[in-house]
Amino acid sequence: MNPLKFIWGMFFRLFPCPTKIELGRIGNPDQQSPVLVTCNFYLTVRRLFRRLKGMNAWLLVTDSRGVNVWCAAGGEDFNAHSVVSAIKTSGINDLVDHRKLILPSLGAPGIKAKDVEDQTGWTVQWGPVRIEDIPAYLESGRQRSAEMKRVTYNWRERLDTSIGALFPFFLVGALGFLFFGSHLLWHYLWVATVTFFFFMLTCPWLPGKRGLTKVVLLEIILAIVLVVSEVLHLPYRFFIRADLIIAMVMLFIFGSELGGLAPTMSSDLDPFLAKLGIGTVGNVAFAGTVRTELLNGLRELAYDRDKCVGCRNCAEICPQGCWAFDDQNRAVLAEKERCTACRACIVQCEGKAIKAEAKIQIH
Amino acid sequence: MFSYIFMKILENRPRSYDRMMDRASRGRILSVKQTIAAELVDANHVLDIGCGTGELAAMLAVQGSKVEGFDVNAEMVEVARQRILKKNLANAVSIHQMGVAGMDGFPDSDYDAVVSTLAFSELSDDERHFALKHCRRILKPYGLILIADEVVPQKKLKKILHVTIRIPMLLAAYLVSRTASHPIADLAGEISSAGFSIQKEIRSHGDSFAMVVGRLEMPDTT
Repeated sequence: MNPLKFIWGMFFRLFPCPTKIELGRIGNPDQQSPVLVTCNFYLTVRRLFRRLKGMNAWLLVTDSRGVNVWCAAGGEDFNAHSVVSAIKTSGINDLVDHRKLILPSLGAPGIKAKDVEDQTGWTVQWGPVRIEDIPAYLESGRQRSAEMKRVTYNWRERLDTSIGALFPFFLVGALGFLFFGSHLLWHYLWVATVTFFFFMLTCPWLPGKRGLTKVVLLEIILAIVLVVSEVLHLPYRFFIRADLIIAMVMLFIFGSELGGLAPTMSSDLDPFLAKLGIGTVGNVAFAGTVRTELLNGLRELAYDRDKCVGCRNCAEICPQGCWAFDDQNRAVLAEKERCTACRACIVQCEGKAIKAEAKIQIH
Repeated sequence: MFSYIFMKILENRPRSYDRMMDRASRGRILSVKQTIAAELVDANHVLDIGCGTGELAAMLAVQGSKVEGFDVNAEMVEVARQRILKKNLANAVSIHQMGVAGMDGFPDSDYDAVVSTLAFSELSDDERHFALKHCRRILKPYGLILIADEVVPQKKLKKILHVTIRIPMLLAAYLVSRTASHPIADLAGEISSAGFSIQKEIRSHGDSFAMVVGRLEMPDTT
């Protein structure tokens, strides 16, 4: 283990944490061993090696610019090119006598499976969403249960991703208090910590579908407590005021970030800024990408049943289980409201039946 | 929300790439490209691996070479194509969007020279090995390979100095292209192992930058 990379990956997950792009060996793989593909994010590769201990497999660590599978695929940094390059240059062609590649399911928004197949002659099989399901997936003859295809966001996953992404904000706040208000440093540390754990552990049960709406109720409660403490002239009013304001600010930050952290939710940022009429800030574009336009309602997921070729890719790779099939083996967008605009179905559809179609704007 | 903004700021900015890289490298990149171009005055057909914004490809075309360049970054390729059109070099230069993995599609013994500046350090070990293997295959007998890139200094003290100095350069590269380079430990050794005889190795900038010229001595028979 590389302790520096481990700490960096754990607590500074907003930043890439690359590991070597190479063909890894799990156990003692031979010519029949499965070939798994992953990103080159240090923590992911480390977790794969740990979880798959005792198995024999080839692990093709491919270039995702040091970012995790889901984020890199969403940002198109983990793509068909990365996989094709790894297959062709790693020498795996000479090491196995099959041509079956297991791709991480959450890589589907970035890696167009057909491009990989056309350019390499390998057949793509989608693996499970979670690393811990890989042994069961392989033992069952590469059959994926419905649970293996679906993304979840349980308390462990919530703590893992949110500690990784929110720690830098926590640190910046701590440094701010250290230099500019050290008498409140301890208040900040415990209030921010308690707020963080309370919000991340309870968020699925808070009302609202988005991160920012989920904090509204809590913010109102805290605001009422603040007003009451001021009106009643409670003792230690200064510290109560400081604690409540710290909690409210931290809640706003956590709520803003939740959409970006949770794989079961879509980003809050784009619709929010679009509603404010902000398209770009400097070189930062908030509008114009397919994903952005899907999120802010300028486009919608359109499906042409006549073009459906029955490849079933949409149902295979949708992490939310939005797609089902009718008795004629044609796709049906059964649970549209669950869609988080990840675009995986659009990228993988062989009949080009799924599109992000522009909505007709009536002025 | 905040992390999203941060990630967006790091998006590709190829239009300012040359300017920023040149500033960060204190003029070294442009002078290296000029040196390479001067070595290849007589080359008819040249391949530029990781051609970026097409600066070197254009220099070579102006000298009369027919140049093919490729880069994996679509925006870089777009900027390179615009440069070629602007300079009326469309007949002499063609730019493709692809990575080194696509080199297996190039015909055998077709090029007089292969050049590459600051691209090999962005490749993985496997990709470098693969690229060099195909350079040997696609070069004509006695063809030249010229690679200029960041290398690891050989002496310990210079290594430490190098790490300190390269931080701003790394940051510039990361901000414009979100790629981090990895200085190559033994560039000349890798080129030599791929079947080239080393003609020249010029080290500069505190031993941290090298231009290696190799020649394919024997016609490739593999």
